[in-house]
Amino acid sequence: MSTNKVEQLVIATVGFFWCFLMWFSTAAFSPSIAANYHLDIKALGLLASSAIWMAPVCRIIAGWASDRFGAPKTFAFILAGCGVVSIASAYTTDYKILFIERVLVAIAGVSFVVGIQHVAQWFDSHEIGTAEGIYAGTGNVGAGMGALFLPRMFGTNYQDAFLWTGIGAIAIAVWYLVRGRAAKSTAQMELAKKHSGMRDTLFVWSRYIAIALMLAYAMSFGLEIALNAWLPGYFTRGFREAILGLGFSGVAGLQIAAGTFAAVQSFNASLFRPFSGYMSDVFQRKGWTPLPFIAKSLPYAPRLHWLGIAVIAITISMVGLTVAGMTGSLYVSVILLVVLGISISFGTGGTFALVPLLFPTRPGTAAGFIGGVSTISGIIYPLMFAAGSNIHIGYAQVALYLFLPSIVFYFWAARYERHPEEHGLMFNDLDANAAEEAA
Amino acid sequence: MSTKTTSEEIVAQEPWYKYGVGFLVLEMLLAIGVSIYSLYMAFNGIGGFPGKH
Repeated sequence: MSTNKVEQLVIATVGFFWCFLMWFSTAAFSPSIAANYHLDIKALGLLASSAIWMAPVCRIIAGWASDRFGAPKTFAFILAGCGVVSIASAYTTDYKILFIERVLVAIAGVSFVVGIQHVAQWFDSHEIGTAEGIYAGTGNVGAGMGALFLPRMFGTNYQDAFLWTGIGAIAIAVWYLVRGRAAKSTAQMELAKKHSGMRDTLFVWSRYIAIALMLAYAMSFGLEIALNAWLPGYFTRGFREAILGLGFSGVAGLQIAAGTFAAVQSFNASLFRPFSGYMSDVFQRKGWTPLPFIAKSLPYAPRLHWLGIAVIAITISMVGLTVAGMTGSLYVSVILLVVLGISISFGTGGTFALVPLLFPTRPGTAAGFIGGVSTISGIIYPLMFAAGSNIHIGYAQVALYLFLPSIVFYFWAARYERHPEEHGLMFNDLDANAAEEAA
Repeated sequence: MSTKTTSEEIVAQEPWYKYGVGFLVLEMLLAIGVSIYSLYMAFNGIGGFPGKH
């Protein structure tokens, strides 16, 4: 069977898009589910938060599995498994069982790291930023499209929505199995498989540069999902009078306005992500290395600098959001939120333009670690936002206490001019052989 | 279209790349358009993000 890298990119992107659509389809119908089962606000909150529960651990496993078994088999397994459970949930009448089933369907979100590995196995280093950006950015839109179109297509009939998204997932799983190929060469596929042992996993986990990239992704994607959950409440409480002054009234009106401002962040963070991958390619092409301390002679040094700029931009935007909130200006806050959303996309796109290049023999394991562990921050940030003495101060506190140390660590870990992946807490001799094999 | 890596190696871009770049520009324009539209709606008290009118 003949295939090419563009077909593999399309398959991975469609699969990821559908998985994200399924991941957030529960949230899209939470009002209908709440009405059907007479859920109180606490139960509704539990249902909303359950979407992220499986992400940290399952992403790590999925990343390892894609190296060991190949992305097509792993992705098809996730799609088919989640699809079957989604179909089952369409016929469930007991809320407890429905809740468990939807937590299982939310595993679809872990497919991100599988597609990252798949794309990395097909595209060359000079184009990897754009390819990974298109994959991840377009796939991410699935979450927003689900929220936008599913309720319009199915109304309050969430059962039909769960049924048809499940059937769609199984159909894409079959397509993925039939047309998907794990890597552009058997040798490359075998190389990833060979480096998928426990020792290799611990090797990746203990690399300073892998930890730095994980923190960078926590600053970007972790922040993005944290803001998705936090911002509607923030605008409702922090700018209540200003929103009422715009002409909105009642709880429903406040929800519409606050949801809009929150969605703008999410939308920009997703759709600017491919641009960030492209910018990483541009930095590489031009050889731009403007930041101090970070390595300048590594083959991918310009990409490290682009990510460095991104994490600085995120931190500055967070402080700006606090300052804007303290002034009480809704307009300035929303503008800063747009800037923050774009900065976040620079971080997410910039991180995964680097991961496959730093760990060419262990792309899945590395993507699983960086994309999985970082999602824990999505739970931590909202707690810090809510703990501040003032509802606006939390952004600056997170920037000061969590982001600044992360940036310092990133600059420190990215300073090596030769093989930064060889420096870590243990197994420092392990990668010398792998680097030679990859070459 | 060609790429110059830090080691001064010239790598020719494949045909797909220009379509990929065109696609990401389209996505950016979509993000900007939806942002402007929904913020205009919100700041004028008309409605909000599409789907939440």
